[in-house]
Amino acid sequence: LPGYEFPVGTCPGMCPLGELAQRERQGRLHRLELREGTRQGDPARVVKEYSRPAAGKELPRPQELRPAPVLLATVRYLLGQVAPQADLPPAEVHAFISDRLRAVRQDATLQRLQGAPCVALLERSLGYLLHAGYQLCQETPARFDPHLHRTQLQECFSWLRRCYQDSCHHGEPAFQALFLLYNLGFPEALRQVLQLPDPVRASPELRTALAVNWAYLERNWARFFRLVQALPYLPICALHRHLGPARRLALLTFSHGFSARNCRCPLTWLARLLAVDSPEEMAELCRHHGLTVLDGAVVFQKAAFRDPGMLVHGPSQLLVDSKRGEAPLLEVIEDTCS
Amino acid sequence: MAHITINQYLQQVLEAIDSRDGLFCAELVSFKHPHVANPRLQLPSPEDKCQQVLEPPYDEMFAPLTPIPFYFTGHFVNCVLCSPKYNTSFLRAFQAHKEENWALPIMYAVALDLRIFANNADQQLVKKGKSKVGDMLEKAAELLMSCFRVCASDTRAGIDDSKKWGMLFLVNQLFKIYFKINKLHLCKPLIRAIDSSNLKDEYSMAQRVTFKYYVGRKAMFDSDFKQAEEYLSFAFEHCHRSSQKNKRMILIYLLPVKMLLGHMPTIQLLKKYELMQFAEVTKAVSEGNLLLLNDALTKHETFFIRCGIFLILEKLKIITYRNLFKKVYLLLKTHQLSLDAFLVALKFMQVEDVDIDEVQCILANLIYMGHIKGYISHQHQKLVVSKQNPFPPLSTVC
Repeated sequence: LPGYEFPVGTCPGMCPLGELAQRERQGRLHRLELREGTRQGDPARVVKEYSRPAAGKELPRPQELRPAPVLLATVRYLLGQVAPQADLPPAEVHAFISDRLRAVRQDATLQRLQGAPCVALLERSLGYLLHAGYQLCQETPARFDPHLHRTQLQECFSWLRRCYQDSCHHGEPAFQALFLLYNLGFPEALRQVLQLPDPVRASPELRTALAVNWAYLERNWARFFRLVQALPYLPICALHRHLGPARRLALLTFSHGFSARNCRCPLTWLARLLAVDSPEEMAELCRHHGLTVLDGAVVFQKAAFRDPGMLVHGPSQLLVDSKRGEAPLLEVIEDTCS
Repeated sequence: MAHITINQYLQQVLEAIDSRDGLFCAELVSFKHPHVANPRLQLPSPEDKCQQVLEPPYDEMFAPLTPIPFYFTGHFVNCVLCSPKYNTSFLRAFQAHKEENWALPIMYAVALDLRIFANNADQQLVKKGKSKVGDMLEKAAELLMSCFRVCASDTRAGIDDSKKWGMLFLVNQLFKIYFKINKLHLCKPLIRAIDSSNLKDEYSMAQRVTFKYYVGRKAMFDSDFKQAEEYLSFAFEHCHRSSQKNKRMILIYLLPVKMLLGHMPTIQLLKKYELMQFAEVTKAVSEGNLLLLNDALTKHETFFIRCGIFLILEKLKIITYRNLFKKVYLLLKTHQLSLDAFLVALKFMQVEDVDIDEVQCILANLIYMGHIKGYISHQHQKLVVSKQNPFPPLSTVC
């Protein structure tokens, strides 16, 4: 549309006053937005909610859109103040944050935000979404929709990676590495990463991510899990969804490689190799795939291997939780950002 | 011809249409034709003239004259934006030709120009940072798809008059776009349409070679190497001998696939097609020399990545392990091999911080893939291999 100027937001707070009044009237304020002990909205806590763009809906006026600095403050409020809330169910807190982050991205889209301000929003949103994906990995689909979560993450990644194409940003190596780890084993992701400019590709973050990826493709599980154990918190969160499939594939290859009736592999060795928290958990996984466990050792037999779907893939103390540390989430995320 | 007036030009068009001379008509539409350079045809809006001489929908269709000024000023974006109108008017005319297909050459010319414009337009826009890669090409693909639908649904006409003859040309144009914008999944329905067509072996050889080349590349990306070999080999063998450049392009994909299946190219072949980047890779894989393989991959990384074959060449690492380990077996002349022997071999190849656990993983994977017949005994730290044929030939494995 030639000559069309995109609106520039003028809304000074996290939520336009009109929306606050309307949602208060309709009783649609989230309990995270209420003034303590009342049914009134607390202007310091109410955040603009996501609303689907629909046909016939008018374009928002500038006073309904938040300018870049307010958007950043909103994201930092959500990650710094709301995310650590311990007295509400984590899935509920997440549903609130992910909806409000989506609204932030919508405001950014409507104003066609570009460059550093846009990168700042996307990097923080991604950091949070990766963290949340791990923390909520055991929730039921009704409380945490993994499909919607994946879609949001991939959208953020592709938008952020488009921003990186336009100009240089300090956080690029770290976030390109997160992109590769999140999409581990997907040829298309790898191909795109290989085409990045040399300085990005040669960064320590990407070299590590690429090494993890090659080990995965080569099915060199010993190397893969050794490298994975050395990853910091956010990268391991990004990779977490692939750990279950990787272990399944490892047991499948071992079922062929070590297939002999009289041979045993100690569970302790296997648990260490696949970075499983305990020999008991390792035994459970082996039994799940039809393998016999005798006196603390596995009997691998290729005919015995079964594939009854993935075991519910829970948290991992050794690989993930131990990396989290004491620092506040916002700090952990901002350490990685541009 | 080059300096005729607009009236003369349109008169020629009219005669060509009346006599159903598709080829001549195509020439008159094509941007490869000299009329494009004729200043007397470069009117800002030739629509009125067209309407005076030609019946609808031909009048609109020959307004490809409109993009000419844009074309000359290098505004490819405008050329593409003009296209939908001509395309739909062409389609209307084309569809109205019941049980005849003389206009196919016109469609080829329009489709080809469209793709080339879109490609240039894309580059212009990306350079200006105005859109993301592929926007214009995607638009062109949509238009080509609508042509494809008309051709594919022409079921009533007899075989000689069928528009189905146009399908493969369009499919090939669409492949070119989809490969460029990395939407390979969109190829699948097109491949199915051609494979199930009774004309699939009757199209011209040039079109079939192009088709097999792209389907072969797609099979390669889907890790279906047997099929990739079959299609790419067909393309290579049937590609016209004078098209050395095309044969080289086919080889870039055929070579890695062949290597994965255990067939190594000769130096003469690599020299003939200026593909010496593969020479060291070939040597490294057949000797089981991991060190040389890593060097060769790093050295020619840019070339391999640009061609999109880096990933597949990495897969050769597994073959290289196999060849290295086979050497260990041949040296030790026993069926119970100590795992340490393999560790020594890998360390000799300077594989970074490799340990005995990794040796077991690599071996387990080779056994799983069928490259080694045998099993690992973890208790005794030994690989026990079959007495018969412990390293089956590659062509029987992949």
